[in-house]
Amino acid sequence: MTQTLNANPHSLREAFYALSVAQDVPDAKLLDDMVRRYPEFGEELTEFAIALAVDSLRGERVIEAAEAALDPNVVSPAVSRAISHFQNRLHAVTAGERATETKPATPASPDAPNPFAALPRPEFRALAERLNANAVFVGKLRDRQIDPRTMTPGFQRRVAEELKAPLEVVVAHFAASQAAPVRQFFKAETKPSAGDQQTFEEAVRSCGLTEAQQQALLEL
Amino acid sequence: MARPLTKTEPDGTLYRRPAPVEAQVDEAVQLKLPDLRRRLLVTDRNNAAYLRSECLVHLLRHGRRAGDQALMSAVLPVLLSRCEANLLVTVPDGRMPDATSLRQDILDGLTELFVLDGLGENPAELDFYECRFNKAFRTLRIDAVRRAARRSKEIIDVAALPPSEAEGEPDAYEDAFARVSDAFKVFPTQEWDAFREPFLNAIEALPPEEREAVILVHVLGYKEESEDPNEETAATRCNCTGRTIRNRLTRAAGKLARFKEDV
Repeated sequence: MTQTLNANPHSLREAFYALSVAQDVPDAKLLDDMVRRYPEFGEELTEFAIALAVDSLRGERVIEAAEAALDPNVVSPAVSRAISHFQNRLHAVTAGERATETKPATPASPDAPNPFAALPRPEFRALAERLNANAVFVGKLRDRQIDPRTMTPGFQRRVAEELKAPLEVVVAHFAASQAAPVRQFFKAETKPSAGDQQTFEEAVRSCGLTEAQQQALLEL
Repeated sequence: MARPLTKTEPDGTLYRRPAPVEAQVDEAVQLKLPDLRRRLLVTDRNNAAYLRSECLVHLLRHGRRAGDQALMSAVLPVLLSRCEANLLVTVPDGRMPDATSLRQDILDGLTELFVLDGLGENPAELDFYECRFNKAFRTLRIDAVRRAARRSKEIIDVAALPPSEAEGEPDAYEDAFARVSDAFKVFPTQEWDAFREPFLNAIEALPPEEREAVILVHVLGYKEESEDPNEETAATRCNCTGRTIRNRLTRAAGKLARFKEDV
């Protein structure tokens, strides 16, 4: 059985939720109904229904017992990291909302929230994989090294989807000017600049991506 | 009264929280922060003061909309700790490559839903979590596991069980699958609890194609194949022939037959 990871993640997850909340263990009738409702996700729904059935073997008791054994006064490192992720992302998104409210035109300030900034390293790598690119390329996106006028709307939408960030926040990030070093003293005679931006195609061609990866990105 | 949900069913009716959740939400939003903190310390689901996860989701969304940092800071650690306890059981170390990172990704993914609540393409996604938290969260988890497995091209890493001597015998074939079907009917009992883990391991140890065939036929109830071209069967769901399904079932039966005495 094959399946795609390129489907619109929101629509696909919507289909998964519908299947999951309908019954504890799906049956053939339910799966057939869901595939009729979401025919574009037939293979994914079939695989998901199988995973749900296997998962149901665990039962709720063992999970209930694990939750009941929690010490409510202790916050684990994993939970602390997730809270930190939440606060960083919330700050970035609410700052973006405020920027959109006060500046409906595309902002060009270096202060636009950087939706890549709060990504922990594993998520940064995972994002690169989801974009069918690599960390060097995503680094260029993060550091605004690509001229946004040369990016297609389809590419920007795809980045927003994979980042799970509002499109306007991502567009504002790309449109903002590059951040130059802010230190007071420099060894060079002139203040360092952020450097020239590459075109989208130059960036794609110079990141060590395979021919197929380059082609896929350029066609978005 | 709690803010109504906005997601709709296929027939256009609005999602509604189950009545006990609705009642608890109405009560919880009235609590002063110190009282709420006391309630959040209760971890026993059978305690009347226990706040359901659906209710915590509602409080967090309320805090997010109102910019109430104190409320979010009180509730979020409790909800995430429950989710982490769930993940330590359902995504344990050793079953997936880098399970620790995957659990973190899932927790981060859940917080992302709160960050983006009311925004983007699916602004009411958290409505699912206010209605059936555990089922919604298992969706998030299984989807994340599915994506991670596909990305790493690795299937769940469980050692294959040794083939049973009963492989290929018709009686063993029938017995093994009778146990599979029964297992999905009796699993809430205490008797089942003793066999849950080894049975789950046996199912997960099957090669993916065999597991799919077993679950589609013996749990979901599909026919192996049909002469009616419009009928969905295990073969049509797997894009293969009925003969292939039968071969997969035969191979799986040998591996599951060891449970005919155990379960």
